[in-house]
Amino acid sequence: MSISTSPAPPRSQVAETTRPARHEPPIIVFQNVSKTYPNGAAAIRDVSFTIPPRDFVFVVGASGAGKSTIIRLLIREETATKGHVLVEGQDLARLRRRHLPRLRRKMGIVFQDFKLLPNLTVAQNVAFAIQVTDPGRSHLKEKVGEALYIVGLEDKLNTFPTELSGGEQQRVAIARALVHRPRIFLADEPTGNLDPDAGWGIVQLLLQINHRGATVVMATHNREVVDLCRRRVLAMEGGGLIRDEQEGQYLKEGEANL
Amino acid sequence: MNPIPALRFVVRVALQNIVRNRGIAFASLLTVTLTLLGAGAAVGVVFALDKVLQQEESQASVLKVFMADHISYASALNLEHSLASEPSVQAASFENKDQAAAQASSTLGLGGALHILETSGGGNPLPASINLHLKNIAAVTAINNQVSTSDLLFPGPHQTDYNKDVIPRVEHYILAAQLGGAILVAVVGAVALVIITISVRTAAFVRRQEIEIMKLVGATDWFVRWPFILEGMILGVISALLASGVLLGVGVAFGSGGSLALGVGVRLAVLISLGLILGGAVLGSFGSLVGIRRSLAT
Repeated sequence: MSISTSPAPPRSQVAETTRPARHEPPIIVFQNVSKTYPNGAAAIRDVSFTIPPRDFVFVVGASGAGKSTIIRLLIREETATKGHVLVEGQDLARLRRRHLPRLRRKMGIVFQDFKLLPNLTVAQNVAFAIQVTDPGRSHLKEKVGEALYIVGLEDKLNTFPTELSGGEQQRVAIARALVHRPRIFLADEPTGNLDPDAGWGIVQLLLQINHRGATVVMATHNREVVDLCRRRVLAMEGGGLIRDEQEGQYLKEGEANL
Repeated sequence: MNPIPALRFVVRVALQNIVRNRGIAFASLLTVTLTLLGAGAAVGVVFALDKVLQQEESQASVLKVFMADHISYASALNLEHSLASEPSVQAASFENKDQAAAQASSTLGLGGALHILETSGGGNPLPASINLHLKNIAAVTAINNQVSTSDLLFPGPHQTDYNKDVIPRVEHYILAAQLGGAILVAVVGAVALVIITISVRTAAFVRRQEIEIMKLVGATDWFVRWPFILEGMILGVISALLASGVLLGVGVAFGSGGSLALGVGVRLAVLISLGLILGGAVLGSFGSLVGIRRSLAT
């Protein structure tokens, strides 16, 4: 994304968020977490932070800094080599495999590559999340319609993903992640494949989701978005957490643009 | 989770899998049908062979103990009762000299020779005997050794009709047939299992993104597995039905007198078909479980 090709919206256009509930127990805790892969490569080293409910957090850093590893640890696609990852007080290392689906239903997850099924329509893609977790759930159409309304795609029900723009595809992925009304929303480089305007639209949407009460963690290396939003920033470098700032920026004041 | 919509979803996805991957599904259907055909034919041949060998075994399990001419009827009955009480003896019956002659005349065609002997004053040369029906062919040798020590028996080298060469040979054939059949069925089953596993693994690879999404949105492992298990089961059962159809068709075409080819009875043929269908379903499900395991591991 480039500011020059996509003028920054005024601060008033950035959706308001609910204030993070710092007086409540944290919804996410990383306690001295390290992750080393079997080949010896260390993805993150001794990372500690807490996230209160309803917070909006950017995890920033260059490629390979460890942003995506944090997301993968949170959805327990990976487990920590050292330390503890807790979600709503539950230590994910102790979570039994059969309880993993319950954890993931509390979370909405979106990725850079959208992960939509090309042979299903927009509505079917969103409904898929309900059908595979709770096939008997009533008011399926209403739930799908509501999720698509939130992302502004209520008129694209019968369109296939290949007929949509990248931004619209990411909105469908967000709608699919929203149907379970998640308390935690994780986004791994959601604007990575999008043009600046579409990327900004997605960030606005995530801010709205946060405003509705979900805790949002967004891994990104999109400097403009982070600097415009002025939300909490966890900056990663070489697998370590180097900065944790409220209303932070992508780079520290005076830091050179790497 | 409501089971009816879940079942509907699982059936729909399983059928979609088969239709979407119809090339692979058809190839595995064909190969599994051929392997099950081989298994069914092997079972039929083994059963037919076993039937023949059982007849041989039943004949070889009868031991004729020849009695000396001088012993009294009471002594012969005592010996009969004594042998009948042995655990390995199923039944014992006494056959007098006249019955032996009648038997020899009817089965061996010796009526003329016996008549000449009797009219020329030679009398009936055949001894009375006790016919022992043993429970097991393996007991024949032991009973023969036990009875041979009795002084009530016909003097000479042939106190019984025990043939020490026949029994081990029959036992050997029975063992070889059972072992060979079991190995053949096991090999064919393993081949079918591998084919179904590869087929399901391919289907899982084609659907890897769908599986990934299912897991990300919180579907349970079993919910991901069931469509694949059902797919394997459907392929296994259809293959078994085709194989059974071909086997029954061939059996009827080459059968005669109320039996199918190789003397296999209709009841046995139906049992083999049911066995193949059950085997196809089990192999299909198990192959699918193995095939999908890798996709669920991550």
